[in-house]
Amino acid sequence: MHVANLKGERRKLGGKENNRIRNRGLIPGVIYGHKEDPEFVSVGVKELRLALDELQHVVSLDIGAGVAQYLIKDVQYDHLNKDPIHIDLMRVDANERVRVRVAVELKGDPHGAHEGGVLTHVMTEIEVECGVMAIPELIEPNVSHLGLNESLHVRDLKLPEGVVALSDPDDVIATVKAHRGVVEAPVVEGEEAAAEPEMIGRVAKTDEPE
Amino acid sequence: MPAQMPKRVKWRKAQKGRIRGNATRGNKVEFGDFGLQSLEPGRVSGRQIEAGRIAAQHFLQREGRVYIRIFPHKPISSKPLETRMGKGKGDTDYWAALVKPGTVLFEIGGVTADVAKTTMLRIAHKMPVRCRFIERRHSL
Repeated sequence: MHVANLKGERRKLGGKENNRIRNRGLIPGVIYGHKEDPEFVSVGVKELRLALDELQHVVSLDIGAGVAQYLIKDVQYDHLNKDPIHIDLMRVDANERVRVRVAVELKGDPHGAHEGGVLTHVMTEIEVECGVMAIPELIEPNVSHLGLNESLHVRDLKLPEGVVALSDPDDVIATVKAHRGVVEAPVVEGEEAAAEPEMIGRVAKTDEPE
Repeated sequence: MPAQMPKRVKWRKAQKGRIRGNATRGNKVEFGDFGLQSLEPGRVSGRQIEAGRIAAQHFLQREGRVYIRIFPHKPISSKPLETRMGKGKGDTDYWAALVKPGTVLFEIGGVTADVAKTTMLRIAHKMPVRCRFIERRHSL
């Protein structure tokens, strides 16, 4: 497993400090875990973006007390869900077991799709428990065997050794369902046939039961 | 399918209101693989949503699946032409969805990125707000 290196430093707290940090090409973050006091850091956004694009869960960071490895616990994004604005890092030991959410990427073209079905990717990530240094970047099940109205479940996944799925084994990862067809707009007589919705809580003038 | 509007409402008319701030909910791709995200605040009418849906489905034919993430809950009233001011609030003209920057308007699943991009461009032409194409991302 590849561990990304982040550049970081301790940061000051308060006021408009976070925006100043972001303007310098860094993002504010917090380190916690192992029942120690939290530490407030800022990390390089460029390296973090690379690590996130490569679906890295563990990063190494030097904030003055030597290089240590941390688990990325949470990343906050801006309102467009585009740029990271804050990161949560958790202290971990190399032989510790952790619970993480791992992305599921489907491989292959289901033959049900050629019979008029549409592949729907229901669960795009699953929760697993594994060693820190054995977190899989991706789980890539093959769905080419799926026919029409067939599903791939969590129990069907072939996980690497030491990785245990915590999601319900009966949960559906992907399914191939028949296409509902193109729904054509019916021709409405006149403009806006049913122009007014029903009123809640008002006694209808006609004797229609509610 | 006619333009969307609620089946039952508690009040026939609503105050104008203002669209402030950015979307904190409904700003991620949740159901499909690709999405169309609003970049500015605005009102999307039921007819515009329907026009987007038809544009997508005509282009996709029987491929993939389209998800509509917004619904026109708000009644927008207007006064008839050449009417004097006063005499109360006008009748409901249309129903609109209030959209904030970041709101995901449409999603598509079960198609390739190229097809999704072209479809979203066609939908974006029907929208009254500037939009961008986004992909589903891992939660981290």
